[in-house]
Amino acid sequence: MATSTVSSIPLSLNDRLVAGISALLIGAFLVFGAGLANSAVLHDTAHDTRHSYGFPCH
Amino acid sequence: MIVKTLLAAIVAGLIAGVFMTAAQEMRVVPLILHAEKYEGEAPSADHPATQEPVAGHDQHSWLNGTSALGALLSTFSPVTPAHAHEHEGEHEEGGIMFGMSRFSGTLLANLVTGAGFSLLLAGVSLVIGYPITLANGAFWGAFGWLAVHLLPAIGLPPELPGFPAAELGDRQVWWAATVLLSAVALYLLALRRELVAKIAGLALIAAPQIYGAPQPLDISSNVPAVLGAEFAVAALATTLAFWLVLGVVSGFINDRFVKAH
Repeated sequence: MATSTVSSIPLSLNDRLVAGISALLIGAFLVFGAGLANSAVLHDTAHDTRHSYGFPCH
Repeated sequence: MIVKTLLAAIVAGLIAGVFMTAAQEMRVVPLILHAEKYEGEAPSADHPATQEPVAGHDQHSWLNGTSALGALLSTFSPVTPAHAHEHEGEHEEGGIMFGMSRFSGTLLANLVTGAGFSLLLAGVSLVIGYPITLANGAFWGAFGWLAVHLLPAIGLPPELPGFPAAELGDRQVWWAATVLLSAVALYLLALRRELVAKIAGLALIAAPQIYGAPQPLDISSNVPAVLGAEFAVAALATTLAFWLVLGVVSGFINDRFVKAH
């Protein structure tokens, strides 16, 4: 009940949005790096992961 | 509190990433390895229409570099693999980072991907104000799977190494746009009461599919179709398991640790 807690005591609406948008940005960065980034080293390291998750790959 | 919320999401993602690594070893990874045997056989001259096989070969030099076939190809090739990389321009020399084994690389990538998807799920939950709990975690996971895997797979099914495919950048743009539109659509369909929202949701799900995913010009492949069919189902089933674990673990951690501040 993250958000119900959130709305009742610890996180104000503002904090909730800050946390949510930070999570979206960091998450998108990680998924992009592992799944989409056009780098040979990242590609080769994440190769099997990219195929298993169905990321568009080479 | 913000940091604690983000850490909870990262921990859930890491747990799901470890689970995913084990789950992949059952069906998905054996099928990838099987397909790569055929992938190496594709002579680049047979596919003048696309650059994909050439690029695929170069990017997999760490895989087939030691094989007899790779040696044979490089013998007959006018350029050495190192030169081929230079011609690729953007493609620097590949290889797994930190000199890790293939399995470690996959594990690391799964951890990063798991944490990434978990943060995205938590971010959506926080922004729209619907908490992920142990009770509804499986639904969160299922909707994540629909948006990130099943709906984009209608246009771009999970593909094996060596499969024909359109320009990578085009497919990535279509994939990312479809994930985004599908996620918004599922929110409208599942969490909004207005009739207009439901209709808009259906339209958003249909839009990228009607627009159409980038398709390859030449669909011939040395990889047997049966492997492709098995892989598509195995990949979707495995990612469904990943998302269900991710949703339930996220809910559990939220209920247990984030709530008790």
